[in-house]
Amino acid sequence: MAIQQAYTARNGGHSELAVSVQSQDGFMLGTFDAMASPCEILIETADKQLARHITQLACNEAKRIEYKYSRYRTDSVISAINSSHGKPVAIDEETFRLLSFANTCFQLSEGMFDITSGVLGKVWHFDGSDRLPSQSDIDALLMFIGWQQVELTAGSVALPAGVQLDVGGIGKEYAVDRVATLLLEQAPEVSVVVNFGGDIQVTRRRMNDEPWYIGIENPLKDEQGETLVKIFQGGLATSGDARRYLLHEGKRYSHILNPKTGYPIEEPPRSVTVAADSCTQAGLLATLAMLQGKGAEDFLASQGLTYWVYR
Amino acid sequence: MQLTNKGSVATALAGAACALLGTPAAQAEEDMLKDWKFDTAILYYGETDRVSLVEGVINASKTNDDDSLFNVKLVIDTLTGASANGAVAQPYAQTFSRPSGKDGYVVNAGDTPLDDTFRDTRVQVSSSWMQPFADTWRATGAVNVSTEYDYLSLGLSGLLEKDLFMRNTTLSAGLSFQFDSIDPVGGTPDALTSMLTPTYIGDDNDEGEDEFEWDDDYEEGENKTGSESKTTTDLIVGVTQVINRRMLMQFNYGLSVVDGYMTDPYKLVSVVDGAGMTQDVIYEDRPDSRTKHSFFWQTKYALDSGVVDVSYRFATDDWEIDSHTIDSRFRFNLGDNNYIQPHLRYYQQSAAEFYRPFLNQNDPMPMYASADYRVGEMTAYTVGLKYGHKMENGHEWAVRAEYYQQDPKNAGFDEPGVLADLDLYPSVKAVILQFNYHF
Amino acid sequence: MKRKLAAILALVAVAQLSGCASLGVQPWERDLLAKDEMALGAEGVDLGLDDHIYFSKEATSGGRSFAGGGCGCN
Repeated sequence: MAIQQAYTARNGGHSELAVSVQSQDGFMLGTFDAMASPCEILIETADKQLARHITQLACNEAKRIEYKYSRYRTDSVISAINSSHGKPVAIDEETFRLLSFANTCFQLSEGMFDITSGVLGKVWHFDGSDRLPSQSDIDALLMFIGWQQVELTAGSVALPAGVQLDVGGIGKEYAVDRVATLLLEQAPEVSVVVNFGGDIQVTRRRMNDEPWYIGIENPLKDEQGETLVKIFQGGLATSGDARRYLLHEGKRYSHILNPKTGYPIEEPPRSVTVAADSCTQAGLLATLAMLQGKGAEDFLASQGLTYWVYR
Repeated sequence: MQLTNKGSVATALAGAACALLGTPAAQAEEDMLKDWKFDTAILYYGETDRVSLVEGVINASKTNDDDSLFNVKLVIDTLTGASANGAVAQPYAQTFSRPSGKDGYVVNAGDTPLDDTFRDTRVQVSSSWMQPFADTWRATGAVNVSTEYDYLSLGLSGLLEKDLFMRNTTLSAGLSFQFDSIDPVGGTPDALTSMLTPTYIGDDNDEGEDEFEWDDDYEEGENKTGSESKTTTDLIVGVTQVINRRMLMQFNYGLSVVDGYMTDPYKLVSVVDGAGMTQDVIYEDRPDSRTKHSFFWQTKYALDSGVVDVSYRFATDDWEIDSHTIDSRFRFNLGDNNYIQPHLRYYQQSAAEFYRPFLNQNDPMPMYASADYRVGEMTAYTVGLKYGHKMENGHEWAVRAEYYQQDPKNAGFDEPGVLADLDLYPSVKAVILQFNYHF
Repeated sequence: MKRKLAAILALVAVAQLSGCASLGVQPWERDLLAKDEMALGAEGVDLGLDDHIYFSKEATSGGRSFAGGGCGCN
């Protein structure tokens, strides 16, 4: 009995919350998997027990958000909303805030950022092949796209039948920020970097005001090597098409789709990284930049931001 | 975008992001973690014409913030039905006394003698605490108490585990002490003394019950004294090793030393003459010490959608019982929320050195003798299927149906006279049904 | 017989431990191993119930965990 249980506690009891902590040069590195990404927590401490505790908190919160908002989980809030067939669904405060944010982004981007556009994934499969969907396939879906059709109140959300929400575009950055907020409350003296697959937030400045050095995704890695970013505080997010594209008749179609036309944005950058106060803000700005297609750099410059664009 | 005022989109977004993140998480951990987890199950075990058992289990576990784990388990089972009492079948009806000595029962000609006195309810409570410390160590302490109306068991155990090589290897060592006390109905019979055989006088009384009478010399319980006890000390050492991304193995060595009363006070041995006819029925007796070694190896292999789990155990002891057990479970996931799991188990044991299906009147009385088929030579197999389903609210249920057959074998004893025409090693066939609920 | 067993045991233990350092996975390769159903203690309730049945009907117990049964079910 005892051996079974102890092993269960370590791996089976909450196996999806298993974390790993290793000592690095000058900091502790906690790792786990969440939201289909390798997640890293860099903690400025020599106390492994503390690092373990912090990493576990991060993992629990990340998983909580994943389970709540993943459209691949039948028991998530998003799935409940997506299977409501036109009837209003009661939502809690967190979901209201998340959908309100999506609404603000929709307004600010004049409809280019739209969380109802996920249905296009049914006909667009970015697997590097040359198979494009037909115009009629796309037309059939366009009537189900349009955030303006969604009725959002403080306590409920109602979608017309056939409309689906996908918060994948903001979920990861939101999780990064929530985890960072939580860790700052729980360990206010410790500088922590939360890095979920390239979406990053630093909780506070390091001791002695040193920066954190973090490598960011460079799609042209082979030629130019990984880019090392120096970050003191705030957030960093990357939007990119690294492995998801279609190649048809010599033209490259990125996976960023225009919700108004149902077609990919023309000439988007391969990758955009933006620095901002929060990861959520940075993530949205990076996405908005990608949606500008060839105007990405101008857009980012006009906003007075720190950014890196790769074409 | 038409909003081209310098920085206005970024500023607006900054404000929006603040609003999104404004309120700190209200103890969100609780919802997800549900630090208490419950496993409940109800099992029915039924042998054809023999014993049936209904057992209920409730297991509760709580994981704490520091990863320590508290576990408490309650088991209640009730047993009814008949078990083989160890005596051999005869070509005529036989009568036996019940353990209480105040009543008897009749066994038909040719039938394996079965005693249906056993109606018992057992309650067991066990609890454990696992505490991780120094990052790669875990210590567990456990207690358990089990009580039936003729049996009490108290146990204490400890286990230490250490992880090595990035938790790819775990070494473990455990020690357990158990104290068992048995207070048999009617008293503990003196070893190898005769059971007092009653005479069947009919069933003419008002209730239509069988009635018996004993010899005038019969003194109830004259060869039976009070209670007995035994202590069990177990040591187990093991290694668990991650082989690769899909495979895990465990190897355990176990040493068990039991000291005290291990005889079954309700079991008998027939003493037969050259023609195979029973002359006397005596109470069995087993040695008062037993040292067992076991070697256990288990592998779990992760398929893309399922798990293969195979284990092998070899055990040997100073009663000369050697056994081999192969147990395998094949889990096939059907989607994210369902699975089926066939189960196959094969078991084989050799007879104890003191096992005698019956004794010969003309042979000298051995020091120990038991005719209990469970220490005789036997093979057994189990075939089963389990189906499990995970519901939308995260709870899970499962059902399991199994068939268990034990085939006792002749360990090389001649069957004199009438015994050659009787089935002395009947198979025991049982059905197992179980329902689980996890929340 | 007993000496041979002890020798086999020692050999297996050494083989296991010496091989240990080269076997295993990196923390990020634990995706499959971390699944609930891959835990050695998975289905603990079933294993406990089975142990009880086989302890009552057969002469051998333990192996996976302690051999002591804790009940008079014989």
